Amino acid sequence: MTLPSWITSRWFIVPAVIAVVTVGWNIYVAAHNSGLVEGRVVDAAGRPVAGATVTLYERGFVTHTPKDQTKTDAAGVFRFTANNNHALQLQAEQAALGLSDRPGFRLWFRAQDLSLAEPLRFTGRMP
Amino acid sequence: MRAKPASIALRHLALILVSAIMLVPFYWVIKTSITNENIYAYPPRILPVSPHLFNFVDVWYFIPFPRYLLNSVIVSMLAVAGNVVFNAMAAYALTKHFVGKQTVMLLFLSCMLVPFQATIIPAYLVTANLGLLNTYLGLALPLMSTIVCIFVYKAAFEAVPHSLVDAARIDGLKERQIILRVLMPLSKPAIATNVILAFIWSWNAFLWPLIITREPLMQTLPLGLARFLSYLEDSTGALYAFAVMVLAPSIFVFLMAQKEFIRGLTSGATKG
Repeated sequence: MTLPSWITSRWFIVPAVIAVVTVGWNIYVAAHNSGLVEGRVVDAAGRPVAGATVTLYERGFVTHTPKDQTKTDAAGVFRFTANNNHALQLQAEQAALGLSDRPGFRLWFRAQDLSLAEPLRFTGRMP
Repeated sequence: MRAKPASIALRHLALILVSAIMLVPFYWVIKTSITNENIYAYPPRILPVSPHLFNFVDVWYFIPFPRYLLNSVIVSMLAVAGNVVFNAMAAYALTKHFVGKQTVMLLFLSCMLVPFQATIIPAYLVTANLGLLNTYLGLALPLMSTIVCIFVYKAAFEAVPHSLVDAARIDGLKERQIILRVLMPLSKPAIATNVILAFIWSWNAFLWPLIITREPLMQTLPLGLARFLSYLEDSTGALYAFAVMVLAPSIFVFLMAQKEFIRGLTSGATKG
């Protein structure tokens, strides 16, 4: 059986590959863009911090602006469910412990689900 | 007489060197787009340090890139379609003998000498009177037929034996059918040349879209690039990522059709 010549033409193969990759990528994005951002907050000794306020900063053109806030539970876990950005920063704050470090995260697409590999850590810096 | 291997190797070495020199700016743009390096840093780094693709993500989301892309694609498709169709019709007419043909040819050739900037006000007035300001058709209109591309078609049509056209006419084909069924299938390199040139010219057009678009959402990618530059003038990585995203489609189209493009440009250039 011989294939029609247009199937082996680069004018068919290359656009078809691009179309398949695009569709595949969009399916992946649709399955992973619920806007979930979760992680843990710990003190300088690595113990979970309950009741800390975690602020989500959204990146604009030039600056980062506060977008959302939540509190950690008894296990020091926090969760945002409506992130709609692709570049953000997270910072925890508690009256007794001051401010945590403020790491930045860059995502591959808007509202990509993010689970922090490293917890936010208080370093003794006061606001 | 065959060339000696040493001579061939030298020739290839020289060609590789020249190619490398010509590709350095492209390499630099791509390298900067995947890092956040300052292009004025001294000494410059040859290899990228900590490369990443997040600058492309920034470009996609910080400005309405998908919209600009869609605008550019629509305008380019209109320009390409216009060039392929209208230029073929004009070129076919120029292969015929008619009174005033030389004058028409002279007019075409002399019009090639007039820069677009000189005709932009009349072009704007015509477009405005047609009610096409701020529309896709208005954006594509001045690029829908170009004289260079007409001559590319003309050279290709003249290379087709007259006997073939006569035979088609005897078989009952009308003029437009002769173009469509006889001349166009035999002029694929000319079509490819028209497609590539029309695409690249319309894709890179800056001045005309700048003048006739009224809304930001009707802007094309080159205008978006200028706008992006004004927003993020300190973010070289993102700016270069944008430049790569603007350039990529036209380079892609050229690479896809380069064989036909070269053949189309050189057909009719030699005799015998």
